[in-house]
Amino acid sequence: MKLRFLILSILIISSMISCNKSDNSEFTDTPVIEAYLKPGENPVVKIRRQIPFSSVVSYSSDSLNNLDVRIISNNISTRLICVGDTEYIGKSLIIKEGERYDLSFLFNGKTVYAYTNVPSRPTNFAESVKSISLQKTDSTSGPQQMGSMPDPVALTWDNSDGSYYIVVIENMATTLIPIRSFGSREPPGNRFRKAPTTASGLTLMPMEFQYFGKHRLILYHVLPDYAALYNQQESSSLNLTNPSTSIINGYGIFTGLNADTLYIDVLQSTL
Amino acid sequence: MMRNIIPLPVLIRRLLFLSFFILMINLRTLAQQREYTFNQPGNECYMSYICFAPDTDYLNVKRPFIFILGKGNQSAFQVFSEDTLRNSKQFYHYQFVYIPNKGETPRQKLNCVESLASLVTHNFQYGHINVFFNVNDRDLERKDLIDMGLKSVFKSAILRSEIKDSLSSNQLTDNVFSEFKETEIKDLSKKPKEDIGVYYSEENKDNESGTDSTETKARKIYFGPPSALNYTLTGQVRDKSTGEALPFANVIVKGTTIGTSTNTDGYFTLLKVPTDTSTLIVQYIGYEKAESYLTPATPKKNYIIEVRSQSQNLQNVTVTAHRDEVVFVKKAEVSTIKMTPKKLEMLPSMGEKDILRSFQLMPGVSASNESSSGLYVRGGTPDQNLVLYDGFTVYHVDHLYGFYSAFNYNALKDVQLYKGGFESRFGGRISSVTEITSKEGNSKNINLGGDLSLLSMNIFAEIPVGDKITSFFAFRKSYQGGLYDLIFKKFNTRPSTAATESPDGGRRFFQNQEVTSYFYDLNGKITYKPSERDIISLSIFNGIDKLDNSSASSFSGFGGSGFGGLGLNSTDLTKYGNVGSSLKWSRKWSPKLYGNTILSYSNYFSRRDRSQDRTLFGQNNTSSTSRNGILEHNDIKDYSLRSDYQLDIAEFSQVQFGAFTTMFDVKYSYGQSDTLNILDKNGKAYLGGIYLQDKLKFFNDKLEILPGLRTSYFASTGKMYLEPRASVSYNLTEKIQIKAAYGKYYQFANRVTREDILSGSRDFWILADGKSVPTSSAVHYITGVSYESTNYVLSIEGYYKFINNLTEYSLRVNPSPLGIKYNENFFNGYGYARGLEFLIQKNSGNFNGWVSYSLGEARNHFDAYSDGYYPANQDVTHEFKIVGLYKLRRWDFSANWIFATGRPYTSPSGAYSVTLLDGNTQDFFTVTSKNSLRMPDYHRLDVSASYKLLMGRRGDLKRRELGNISFSLFNIYNRQNLWYKEYTIVESNVIVSNISYLGITPNLTISLKIR
Repeated sequence: MKLRFLILSILIISSMISCNKSDNSEFTDTPVIEAYLKPGENPVVKIRRQIPFSSVVSYSSDSLNNLDVRIISNNISTRLICVGDTEYIGKSLIIKEGERYDLSFLFNGKTVYAYTNVPSRPTNFAESVKSISLQKTDSTSGPQQMGSMPDPVALTWDNSDGSYYIVVIENMATTLIPIRSFGSREPPGNRFRKAPTTASGLTLMPMEFQYFGKHRLILYHVLPDYAALYNQQESSSLNLTNPSTSIINGYGIFTGLNADTLYIDVLQSTL
Repeated sequence: MMRNIIPLPVLIRRLLFLSFFILMINLRTLAQQREYTFNQPGNECYMSYICFAPDTDYLNVKRPFIFILGKGNQSAFQVFSEDTLRNSKQFYHYQFVYIPNKGETPRQKLNCVESLASLVTHNFQYGHINVFFNVNDRDLERKDLIDMGLKSVFKSAILRSEIKDSLSSNQLTDNVFSEFKETEIKDLSKKPKEDIGVYYSEENKDNESGTDSTETKARKIYFGPPSALNYTLTGQVRDKSTGEALPFANVIVKGTTIGTSTNTDGYFTLLKVPTDTSTLIVQYIGYEKAESYLTPATPKKNYIIEVRSQSQNLQNVTVTAHRDEVVFVKKAEVSTIKMTPKKLEMLPSMGEKDILRSFQLMPGVSASNESSSGLYVRGGTPDQNLVLYDGFTVYHVDHLYGFYSAFNYNALKDVQLYKGGFESRFGGRISSVTEITSKEGNSKNINLGGDLSLLSMNIFAEIPVGDKITSFFAFRKSYQGGLYDLIFKKFNTRPSTAATESPDGGRRFFQNQEVTSYFYDLNGKITYKPSERDIISLSIFNGIDKLDNSSASSFSGFGGSGFGGLGLNSTDLTKYGNVGSSLKWSRKWSPKLYGNTILSYSNYFSRRDRSQDRTLFGQNNTSSTSRNGILEHNDIKDYSLRSDYQLDIAEFSQVQFGAFTTMFDVKYSYGQSDTLNILDKNGKAYLGGIYLQDKLKFFNDKLEILPGLRTSYFASTGKMYLEPRASVSYNLTEKIQIKAAYGKYYQFANRVTREDILSGSRDFWILADGKSVPTSSAVHYITGVSYESTNYVLSIEGYYKFINNLTEYSLRVNPSPLGIKYNENFFNGYGYARGLEFLIQKNSGNFNGWVSYSLGEARNHFDAYSDGYYPANQDVTHEFKIVGLYKLRRWDFSANWIFATGRPYTSPSGAYSVTLLDGNTQDFFTVTSKNSLRMPDYHRLDVSASYKLLMGRRGDLKRRELGNISFSLFNIYNRQNLWYKEYTIVESNVIVSNISYLGITPNLTISLKIR
């Protein structure tokens, strides 16, 4: 009797347990999207694969050049055509400010989906000066004298709703004349940028310019998901986070943006 | 989604069926008399006879016996039915034996009596002086008894043939009482022992002769009839040498199933002590089993029972499942483990004797997490385990990255772990409860002591003030010796520091590093007993960890640049700790009503700053400083007031009820630079509620049911929460017990995991707000069987828990792409945990220990991470533990081996890059499915040896224990168990570093005390 009872209770206890297999795998072939939707342009969507860290992975048989990629806007579905190298263009579609765009395609058995809208063009973008003068220095001329630095350049624009803005500064000269000697370092590129901001202005320090010449100041009105790319970039690479995006079943960026441009001359002072 | 999980109605049906089944088996055993068969059929003495012990103690043979022979041709049952002697209270502690009357001649009738008497009395262990014979057969005369040689068998005999019919019933009764009166026999118990302090007489183990000790083990001194029957006895259990009250000790009436356990203040109430000549047995882990003989002169209120800690015969295991201490334990608690710090030195340690670590050797508590002293109980996380220290909640129990617990074992008196299905008096957590009671301090003498190990110094003092005040203080501080550094460096082996990166080719380079890291803790308790009914105690606990790995660097100016210089301060400072205090007033309002009220404060704070200050010095003495890194602050303040009462309303019912209220003030902030604050979450909320539970006992206390209901109101969500709970236990036989429990649990303050794949996830405490962080809840179903014999305990328990509204915080997944609101990066999910636990324990002899095996599964489901269930971070499938303890004279040896399935983890699986608007590309990394990978299996072997230090010289009759030296080797075969993997991504390649737990780690501890 006791034995029977013991067996019975063990059975009851055991029945609370049973196996449950999980179907998690180490690497999932998830596509990476890159698309910036700018007003007045055709949408261009690049679709790529991730680079796996492990050498033993199984890819989906779907070809990246042969996907049915569509963007829906205002209930009109536009199929994007692959122009090679896994890049798709919607030739019949012109991006408009304020519109919403929904992207979708099928890959590896899952519907990849993303959406965005196109923010407004920046208004009242202004700069405090049109040009600044800097002294050229080289390795033999020693430190600059105090007070020789010009005032910072103030950039301002309207931002009543706390939107994200990014300023990219681009030297337009064909031949780059360095302001300072770079020594043995590799010379920097002709572009630099400021961190995304939700303010209505920022200042450019004269020392941030690397080359003399005419510079383009591009003010991008961006969406928070794009700004987040920079936040990630600034944070430690140990903090493994994927950029915050609207993309489902995919990685990358699918975002709308809008821009305005000003110019500034960096002149070589003759002092 | 929920396949393979038994639906609740089915489970309940099964449990109901089970209960009915058990009830049917046992109804027939409720009658108290016992019928036995003597000899085999065909034998001359083959017969059925009946034994009856009014006190139901059938095992005790050191007692008077009355043998009753029936009238002509009566069966044993007929004799039993006609007998009235057994109802006399004078014979309450006697045993009656009813003999059938067979045959025709006196010889036939009396032939088998002597051999039966010899059998029943175990060959007259209590002598012949208390063995009596009552002959109801009028045909038998005294001559017949003499002829059969029975005169020497029985002290006296009453024969029906000799009783004159003219005697009144009163005279008759008086005659019986005087003839069958018990005669005092000197107690034959073993040699007496010393009273104060813990003594050891191993040197004289062969010398069994008595000593001149002033105190002896309690012995029976009263032999008269009882004066009270079925009365209520209240009292307190204390340590003999220190006067310390012992909580949760078992008090049982010997030979019965009547029993109770003491409350946190050591008080007990026994509602139906059969007689005031009964014997009480008191059992407490680490203490000798004490027998206390009641007499009519024994106080019926505030009866103090003193037990002594084990000295000579250290035979019981330190750690034991509560139900499993002894065969006759009456406590019917489900999933409860109890431990006392006594003899903790017997178990191997990782540098510090640690009571929470020792719990990890029991089934159902995971042992493979060296970096957490917090308990992972049955697939739950440490934050789901309520830790109560003298009544206040402790939110964080880790020292030194979790390798040691915040509790100084010298300060602890008793720890109970409720692994699940716990009672209504506890709340606010969804997994388990750890209830810690600290020492009050020696009430008889001043005591000082301390330990020195490779990790810390530890001192304590016990100072009684007058008769009414006791105090206890303990202080422990780590010092940065080899062991500390070993652990500290494990956590701080960063591949590179910013100080080695010199931007723009700086010419000069300085680095200053001054690191101070330590932990300390302080425990204090002052207890004041203004009267026999009141106890007021103030308990304080403070523990701090400071872990500093900062460095400072500076660079001189660069030729030709616009810089005047650059200062770089790399800060890596973690400081956390607890401050808690409780003021408790306990009062025994009446023998049946006991209550206590606790006013408490608890604060946990954690400040983590792993950042770099960059200071740019301009040439015109201007400077600008920016800070980047991780800045994480967490602070909880908990102000609580609660009252708990227990009322013994009937012998089968003890009602416990109470009210509680807590004001929470929780702050959390997480930033990545001084301008980018990712998350700021502050919450203040009030929690209040009441509970009621009733401990019911039926069928001679064989069946114990504890239904309860707890209800809370949480202001943050504005909702009421109802938590029905119940547990049942049933003693199928004296050795086999079955139990089951059900309960609903809510948790209002949660420790949320902040997911960080690369450098390890972190947790922070946060209050439920009913929106992004909902109130988590769990439902427990538990059932189990245990078998206990004198030497062995076998236990099997199974559990299933469904957990709802779990919360994690992750920046990996974004809930709202068109607006980054980090406050929304909380993700909610649900999960379940289920498992089976087996325990086989040998708890006697010089060699003892246990083997435990847990089979478990913990699964979570978060829509943000995965479409289906995935293994929870704490999931361990198999866990096997074996612990062996061996005692040899002054040495205690122990070894344990642990095997556990590796924990799940998530790793980077790939990379991709995005071209930004400025033309640069930025690399990003993808990860595997959540927790789809497993660490290698965890296993290790630890050994330890402890040698007792004794006062006096060798050959002294008795030597006081002065302390001990213990040596332990942790992870003796130097297994590199993986702690976590750290990933460094260099040019789109992942470099994996395996961070291991401690390898082989020796430790030496010297413990000394003056008493």
